[in-house]
Amino acid sequence: MAQWQELQSLANASLEQVHQLYSGSALPMEVRQCLAAWIEDQNWHQAAEPLSSHARMLFHSLLALLDDRMGSPGLGNEDFMLKHNLRKARRDLQATFEEDPEKFANVVANLLQEEQQILRLAYAGQQGGAAPAPSAPPQSDRQQEIQRRLADFQAALQDAERAFRHLEDAQDMFDFCYKVHYLPGENRTSDPEYTKQVQGLQAKLQKLDQSRRDVLAQMQQLLGRSETLRDFLQQELGAWRERQQSACLGAPADTSLLQLETWFTTLGKGLFQLLQLLRALGDLRHKVTYERDPLQVEPPLLEKRLQELLTYLLQSAFVVELQPSMPTSSKRPLVLRTASKFSVRARLLVRLHDRNCRMEAKIHIDRDPPKIRGFRKFNILTSNSKTLVAGDSPQNGLVCDFQHLTLKEQKVGGSGKGSKGPGEGPLAVTEELHLITFTLAYAYHGLELELETSTLPVIIISNNNQLSSAWASILWFNMLSADPKNQQFFVTPPPAPWPQLAEVLSWQFESVAERGLDKEHLHMLAEKLFGSKPSPESTLAWPKFSKDNASGFSFWAWLDGILGLLQDHLKQLWKDGLILGFVSRKQEKKLLKGKRTGTFLIRFSESILGGVTCTWVEHPESGPPAFRAVVPYTASELASLALPDIIHDYQLLAEENIPENPLQFLYPDRDRDEAFGRYYSQRQAGSLREKKEYLNQRLIRVSSRQTNESWQAEEELVAATQDLETLQLQPRDPGPLQTMPRGPGPLQTMPGGLGARDPEPLALQVGLGVPELLQPGPGAVEPQLVLQLVPEGQGTLQVGPGGLGTLQVMPGGLEMLQPVPGVQGMQQLGPGDQVTLQPEPRAVEPQLVLQLVPEGQGTLQVMPGGLEMLQPVPGVQGTQQVGPQGQGTLQPGSGTLEPPLALQLVPEDQGTLQVEHGGFELLEPVLGDLETLETVPVDLDMQEFLQSLVEGLDSGSGALETLEAAELMPGMLEAGVGGQERLSPRPARSTALLDHHDPFLPQADDGALPAASSFFAEANFPPLHIDLDDFQ
Amino acid sequence: MGQGSGRQERSKKLELATTETMQAEADIQSDKEETKETKTRDERLRLVFGMADLKNKAIGLYNIGQTCCLNSLLQVFLMNTHFTGILRRITVPSSTSQQRRSVPYQMLLLLEKMQSGKQKAVFPSDLACCLSAHRVKLFVQYDAAQLLLTLWNLVKSQVTNPELTEKLSDLYTIWIQEYMVCQECSFETKRNSSMITLPLSMLDSSSHLLRTLEECLHYFFCPEELTGHNMCFCEHCGKKTPFLQSMKLAHLPKTLILHLKRFCFRKSASIHKLCHSLRFPQVLDFSAVLTEEQCQADASEKASWQYELFAVVAHSGSTDYGHYCAYIWSLVECKWYCFDDSRVCQVLWDDVKCTYGHSDFHWGQTAYLLVYMKKNSW
Repeated sequence: MAQWQELQSLANASLEQVHQLYSGSALPMEVRQCLAAWIEDQNWHQAAEPLSSHARMLFHSLLALLDDRMGSPGLGNEDFMLKHNLRKARRDLQATFEEDPEKFANVVANLLQEEQQILRLAYAGQQGGAAPAPSAPPQSDRQQEIQRRLADFQAALQDAERAFRHLEDAQDMFDFCYKVHYLPGENRTSDPEYTKQVQGLQAKLQKLDQSRRDVLAQMQQLLGRSETLRDFLQQELGAWRERQQSACLGAPADTSLLQLETWFTTLGKGLFQLLQLLRALGDLRHKVTYERDPLQVEPPLLEKRLQELLTYLLQSAFVVELQPSMPTSSKRPLVLRTASKFSVRARLLVRLHDRNCRMEAKIHIDRDPPKIRGFRKFNILTSNSKTLVAGDSPQNGLVCDFQHLTLKEQKVGGSGKGSKGPGEGPLAVTEELHLITFTLAYAYHGLELELETSTLPVIIISNNNQLSSAWASILWFNMLSADPKNQQFFVTPPPAPWPQLAEVLSWQFESVAERGLDKEHLHMLAEKLFGSKPSPESTLAWPKFSKDNASGFSFWAWLDGILGLLQDHLKQLWKDGLILGFVSRKQEKKLLKGKRTGTFLIRFSESILGGVTCTWVEHPESGPPAFRAVVPYTASELASLALPDIIHDYQLLAEENIPENPLQFLYPDRDRDEAFGRYYSQRQAGSLREKKEYLNQRLIRVSSRQTNESWQAEEELVAATQDLETLQLQPRDPGPLQTMPRGPGPLQTMPGGLGARDPEPLALQVGLGVPELLQPGPGAVEPQLVLQLVPEGQGTLQVGPGGLGTLQVMPGGLEMLQPVPGVQGMQQLGPGDQVTLQPEPRAVEPQLVLQLVPEGQGTLQVMPGGLEMLQPVPGVQGTQQVGPQGQGTLQPGSGTLEPPLALQLVPEDQGTLQVEHGGFELLEPVLGDLETLETVPVDLDMQEFLQSLVEGLDSGSGALETLEAAELMPGMLEAGVGGQERLSPRPARSTALLDHHDPFLPQADDGALPAASSFFAEANFPPLHIDLDDFQ
Repeated sequence: MGQGSGRQERSKKLELATTETMQAEADIQSDKEETKETKTRDERLRLVFGMADLKNKAIGLYNIGQTCCLNSLLQVFLMNTHFTGILRRITVPSSTSQQRRSVPYQMLLLLEKMQSGKQKAVFPSDLACCLSAHRVKLFVQYDAAQLLLTLWNLVKSQVTNPELTEKLSDLYTIWIQEYMVCQECSFETKRNSSMITLPLSMLDSSSHLLRTLEECLHYFFCPEELTGHNMCFCEHCGKKTPFLQSMKLAHLPKTLILHLKRFCFRKSASIHKLCHSLRFPQVLDFSAVLTEEQCQADASEKASWQYELFAVVAHSGSTDYGHYCAYIWSLVECKWYCFDDSRVCQVLWDDVKCTYGHSDFHWGQTAYLLVYMKKNSW
């Protein structure tokens, strides 16, 4: 802004000073106002020097300009007064200074100087007094300083340009006088006139020399200040690089380059301007030069200094804006897979370029490969050069955006593709660091440079399963490497100080689930890593972080498993802080000890990759509090049932077979439903009457326990489980239950989908409620069967022959599993088993859960507590109790639209099962006789479904009319889809209790279950069938 | 270009008539001197209280022909109120010719000229003339450390008042004890010596770069073995023997000048400039930098070795041709200023830090002379 305008915008106090300044001034304010720009642009100081003709010239120019202004039509009538004043001022000025224009120049020069002083004071006062504008984004001191200095720099540059113009004028004037007056050929030393002229010339030359030196000093000063600016920008860029690096690791950091680009461009522009000015200054010497001309030696020095500065600025302004990443895993950049596309973008922050000159950027990989044996070599497929796009692109700036790049490994003679032979090199594939480099040929205003920049090191994998460990390497490198280009980093990877590692780990959680790790989490992790007394000085070695340890997986693999689980299933819960997560066993007890019964917390399993579990506390009437935990749920379970629903529906079979949910209060003291209410999946809505293809289904998790046993601490349970493994499952009768021990022990039979599980203490946890999912084949109607068996008690899993009967579930019973679309959608047959019918997920899915609990002496009791009834057929004893009512009615929930479905279970003598649906329809399956299952076909699908169940069972057991539960269970095991089952014996009595919770569902698809029959066949399973006659 | 070069030839015949204008200005100043006489009493009074320099402003000095080095050094002297306090008390030489030849007197005149006028910069022409009379030529590139020594010697020798000479010495002289121990007979010679600057090497004996000023100082006071052709003659042994040379710091002055030996000879015998970064602190505690063996001073002396940075004379360019400027902490205003000949501007410590140097920049500014001032000494 021009000085005069700036002055006018000052506060009143300062304006007063201006008025005072002009009140007695020889230069009236009207004139100052009228010719503001022109007056400020003249060199009055120089003109004020004695013997300068410049003053006279300026004075007359001013008068002429005033004349112009007065005659100009712009000043209309309303400005009559102004015109008058100007006229008067002109007259006065002429009268006063006609004879002495130097004095006038002096007056003006002083006025301008005083004005500057007023401005300076005013601004200094503002800075001290007024708080910074609140609207402006918070800027660091350095950022403000940069802004201020850039403004100063530009102002100083304008000053220098003005000084240069004055210098040019002065030189032209001298040149003219010199040509006119200096006549060296003739000897005119005697002529006094001539001597005077020469003396005048001499003085002018003196002045010229002084001006030149002054301009040079000004440029020196300007360069000195720009060096400081360069350092500041460098620091800002360094900070940005750090931010980018941590953002790559998932830290929340601002990686915008906008501000830096503006600064770099401004400074670059200024320096190029200075370069041109300097060259022009050097050119002045070609017109006039003299002995010891400062322009002879100084400009080259300045130019060298300036070029060095510019080179450095440009070099550092070429940055990788977006580090290479594959679109499929954008949260984990810097890991690239061969043959997968990736993109990377470089930017030149100095947005100056010659539009006539194409700038081409090239991309290279491992330009200077490190000397490491076996270091793989890659080629970048697709074009490796690109023209730098300028200005109008959406990114707006000098950008080269490489997209759709792919990498291909160079075949080294003999060695196979992608794989490294054993002992081929010291580094694993995921520890091999590669650098992608950009080069750019830059040319602008005669400065030609090759700029170069590199990405952070990338890791190139060939398979997705390397992603996790590759990411571990990326974390380690970016956390610890001092040199961002050190490709040899993993030859001797340094250990990580815990505080630094903790921060990076926290970022991982933050980026996956928007919530980092808090102090307690980190404390637990530190304890896990460093033992009981972690200190801030603790360091973790790379192998300990990333390489397998005793537990079979590395710390990182464990953590990454949890991250994966969080990302896919628990994001919201984690984000909202409902998952305590990292709590050690010890800590967990400490936390829960003082809480009331039913208080639970959710934590991650330490022994299973990607597992989450709930632990709750119970305070028995006497004795210490007991802590119970469910077998950790992993992704495969959570895929079918979300954790909040598990928590909501979780059942534990307690005394008197009343199922209860032990999870009542989320730690520390929050009502379960209040905490999780909003995450429960929507209860079934809709009506069966509507054309629903499938029944609603709902999975719940149930565990059970012995009524007459006190709670056991988990450790005890561990032992029990181990016992189980060795001792049990040897029924007195080698028959049906022998089918189970196929694996190392039935309890350890791991469902295929669940992956590896720890053999030892885990078996216990498994027992406590890992669900088994029987995934049906791809048939049309695919009910799903989930079986959860939880053994309790001493682990004596006795399935005696006496109990055999109790384990039998009549196929009729299964048929009776009537899908209930009701609110609860659950059939509880007792506190033991749980059978879930899970039809094809494509439909609206009603869900049905069947729980079978054998009770007493081979008695299967169908509890009326459930809304429906199922009749299991007891075994040998054949006593069968159909709950107190003998008939269950499904009451529709008031809040739902679903019509009620009533299921009538007719005791075996009748052999008919009646299912009433909403009072409108009646399903009458005939117990025992599968064929005679009659339903009133309200809904064809439903009937079909039931039919299919029957058929499924049928096929499962060959020509069976009946099907035993005992058969079913091994069948599921055989299918290898489910989880695990437990048979929980009841030592008090000689009968076995089938304790579990998992829905059974036979499948329509023949292929899914046949294994059962073959299995039975092998096991020499005595047909424990229940005679149909029993029911009829 | 033909025209241009033609002019060039002609113009070469012109010469800068420096001496003439200087003469003229010197005349002007001689009557100023009279007014000064009348004010003597007043002056004295102000001096006693150190008032005279309390309003000193930062004024530039025009470059009158490669005088950037001289200008920078003059600024360092004239911005130092301890020095100007002494300068103002000098006895004015009686004759005009003596006045013209007196360096301290010309410095004083220059100071007056700077502080009395309203100009942003003044010409140090008279002083330059005066110096050239003492064989300090104009239009010649100087090494700042060398010119400093010359200036110092001229000033000190020309201050006639013994009391002031004493004060000047106190202000600038470093006292060191040098020990020479013959490695064969353990004969020890001790010698007190004084110096005006500590010439600090930027490289250690194995040519490793020293990175901080503290390292340089420490290395400077490390004992050095003189062997080979450096051997000295031992009176006792009667032959040239290897010696161990060590220096101990005995006394530090108020104004301590450190010289960073950035220009060094390489094997090729060409002078080479070391551009690498060497950090120097704003506050320097000498007693903490040196070990017990490196000092030969009592506790009270050592307790006073607390310094604050006062000025940096920075050099930019190459060994053949360069430019000097000075960053000076104004003791009056408590601000940093950068003096680039006629251009003076206020700067910050960040700007001063830029003179640490940078191995990537061969033409940038690098600190060459560091001037530290004893804390609480004003």
